[in-house]
Amino acid sequence: MYLKLSYEIRDKYLRKDMLPTIFCPGCGIGSVLQYTLRAIDELGWSKDEVVWVSGIGCSSRVPGFVDFDGLHTTHGRALAFATGIKMANPDLKVIAFMGDGDTAAIGGNHFIHAIRRNLDVTVILINNFTYGMTGGQVAPTTLKGLRGTTAPYGSFENPFDIAELAVAAGANYVARWTVFNYIQGINSIKKALQKKGFSLVEFLSPCPISFGRRNRMKTAPELIKWYNKITVPISKAKNMSPEELEGKIIIGEFVDRDRPSLDEEYEAYKKRAKKMMGWEE
Amino acid sequence: MQIRLAGIGGQGVVLAGVILGEAAAIEGLNVVQTQDYSSASRGGHSIADVVISKEPIYDLIVTKADVLVALAQLGYDTTKDSLRKDGLLIIDTDLVKPDREFIGAPFTRIAEETTGLALTVNMVALGYLVAKTGVVKKESVEEAIRRRVPKGTEDINLKAFRVGYEEGSK
Amino acid sequence: MKYPFPVGKSDFIQGDEAIARAAILAGCRFYAGYPITPASEIFEAMALYMPLVDGVSIQMEDELASIAAVIGASWVGTKAMTATSGPGFSLMMENLGYAIMTETPIVVVDVQRSGPSTGQPTLAAQGDVMQAIWGTHGDHSLIVLTPATVQEAFDMTIRAFNLAEKYRTPVILLTDAEVGHMREKVDIPNPEDVELVYRKLPANEEEAKYPFGDIHGDLIPPMPIFGKGYRTYVTGLTHDEKGRPKTVDAEIHRKLIERIVNKIEKNKKDIIEYETFDLDDAEVAIISYGIVARSAIRAVKMLRSEGIKAGLLKLNVVWPFDFEMIEKIAEQVNAIYVPEMNLGQVYHLVKEGANGKARVELIPKIGGEVHTPQEIVKAVKRCEKCI
Repeated sequence: MYLKLSYEIRDKYLRKDMLPTIFCPGCGIGSVLQYTLRAIDELGWSKDEVVWVSGIGCSSRVPGFVDFDGLHTTHGRALAFATGIKMANPDLKVIAFMGDGDTAAIGGNHFIHAIRRNLDVTVILINNFTYGMTGGQVAPTTLKGLRGTTAPYGSFENPFDIAELAVAAGANYVARWTVFNYIQGINSIKKALQKKGFSLVEFLSPCPISFGRRNRMKTAPELIKWYNKITVPISKAKNMSPEELEGKIIIGEFVDRDRPSLDEEYEAYKKRAKKMMGWEE
Repeated sequence: MQIRLAGIGGQGVVLAGVILGEAAAIEGLNVVQTQDYSSASRGGHSIADVVISKEPIYDLIVTKADVLVALAQLGYDTTKDSLRKDGLLIIDTDLVKPDREFIGAPFTRIAEETTGLALTVNMVALGYLVAKTGVVKKESVEEAIRRRVPKGTEDINLKAFRVGYEEGSK
Repeated sequence: MKYPFPVGKSDFIQGDEAIARAAILAGCRFYAGYPITPASEIFEAMALYMPLVDGVSIQMEDELASIAAVIGASWVGTKAMTATSGPGFSLMMENLGYAIMTETPIVVVDVQRSGPSTGQPTLAAQGDVMQAIWGTHGDHSLIVLTPATVQEAFDMTIRAFNLAEKYRTPVILLTDAEVGHMREKVDIPNPEDVELVYRKLPANEEEAKYPFGDIHGDLIPPMPIFGKGYRTYVTGLTHDEKGRPKTVDAEIHRKLIERIVNKIEKNKKDIIEYETFDLDDAEVAIISYGIVARSAIRAVKMLRSEGIKAGLLKLNVVWPFDFEMIEKIAEQVNAIYVPEMNLGQVYHLVKEGANGKARVELIPKIGGEVHTPQEIVKAVKRCEKCI
């Protein structure tokens, strides 16, 4: 794979008047944004055929930085807005750039229902195990025992595995990587973007300032080491027992299938309606 | 004219009200049709109000009905106080025991004998009502029935309506 | 084009059904909703019609999502609507604010039932007036229409779309269970006779750079909808004329919010509609809206026949509100009566408008039934006697 220089990508796709970004040193969002833009670039997509949608949180500020149509909405609701955009104009390609709190907590219901409907959208999910923008509160993804300002003695709740949740709800494509798996990340995003129906690429993404600092990992390199410790490739995980997988996070491609997407189903539904009403043969 | 139809859920009281209202609309009269039913789909009381007038209609709730058609005791008990003192009470004589002057016929029995279906009682009663009051023309109701009843049931409903109309013309 | 219901003739239909048909004729091609009594019939009619007219009708997971999808559809240039009742309307407050802030034309129908909470699901009320106007947080304005008949529900739905498009704003059609469920004769016009308004689009790329700028001096920016190459960025954060978030600049915030409020306020004369009955020489005024206005008309006639010079102001729009007009009426009459199916909402607006020039009395009624004309007459007479 030929990689363009970062500044080429930056010049082509970012809004100069919006820079610098709001992201902290060591944050992974910029990297994932770059992977996404590289994937779009490699696919040769026009900036005018893609709409970026987001909710609230650090990652949700991304549509503001990219030179595309973008809808920065309310907390957790990105996929509900995306449903209106995609269904009212199925020719548009929709990317939802979301965070873990946005997706799995306040937007959990929209998330599972968008997947159930197989809405043709690509979700790029930044999972940093915390609410970064509001200052490091625990999220539904925070692993047990990890600290946040709202569970200062360590989280006592069970976390969601968002990728597994997406598989169970019926997504067409699901992959999870850490921000440091950049080749796999870009390739997965390319696959996801080309996939009709719901696709999700989740990234474990460092948040040294709000998350790492509270969990004895003050810098991104420390978080890399931790990711290396807790992640297991899916091929290896298949041969591991539940006990061995305890506290581990599986990375890799979880599912790749081709169920009909919501807009395709609705096209067929319109035909059925017209036929049933005798409007069409 | 304020007409109130009262029965129990499943007797088609609301549909009868809608058809009467539609007939009035077909004749270019002003008409408002409202309904009130308990949350149970079957067995609870069911009331349909139809206000028909040449003038614009401001009254929505039938407070002083000119006509009350009662198809079941529960419907009658729920609504009897809303009938004007000199109002016309029409009842299913088999099913309602009123405590005031009335006219009527065994509508449910007539429905069963005519169409084999007790649920056409609403059309029988509607026919009787239209014959007795002349509030709308027979032909308008027949047109409304064709528009409103489920496809394939037009003939059976029209038959029930006509029998009721004949009964009311006696 | 072919319509899935008769056009150019009258029909005998429910208010909910009339709203759905009017929306189709107004060009609405996207509906997202969630079932709720007494608004479900609107959804059911939309579900029946939309696929036939190549529009979308979709059942969302809740009302939060319904209004969100509607806003999304509007940003790709589709006229879009949702309908609900109190409990769902409460959920919509969040994204109603988003629609106001992002100046997104949408229509939201609230078929009012009694609250708070689940209240009386099948019975009518007018308890959501203040919520419709002020329910979402922050300084704002929007438009609220109040139909009293099935015909008005039909006509005002078309008007709601036109106002939404003209002023780039959410418009609320605030009706109730009574209007929603009753059947009346409605004249459905020929589609070619329906006057339709479409949002202003940018005339060129330069205009498209200012999705939130008053570039025409009319306070209403052209809307650079998605998918046309404008590459518009839209956010619910305070933003400048280009739509860029500027969240700590007081001046930018003031300018944005004042324009959003003023585009409604300064166009009051165009937006506000009302009717009067016997008001010219009235000594007693009744101010009413929605379903109760029908009883109020009859009450005025009854009061006149008893020698009380009553008149009626029937509000077809409860927001924006013409406080000056109320003051003029207050100068003319001795007393103003406000019958409402709540414990006092528009009453407070009227009282503010009357500005002490006339006594303002509330005639409240809750529990699900509309005021009878007799009840209004009785309340007026009781008060008129006590002076």
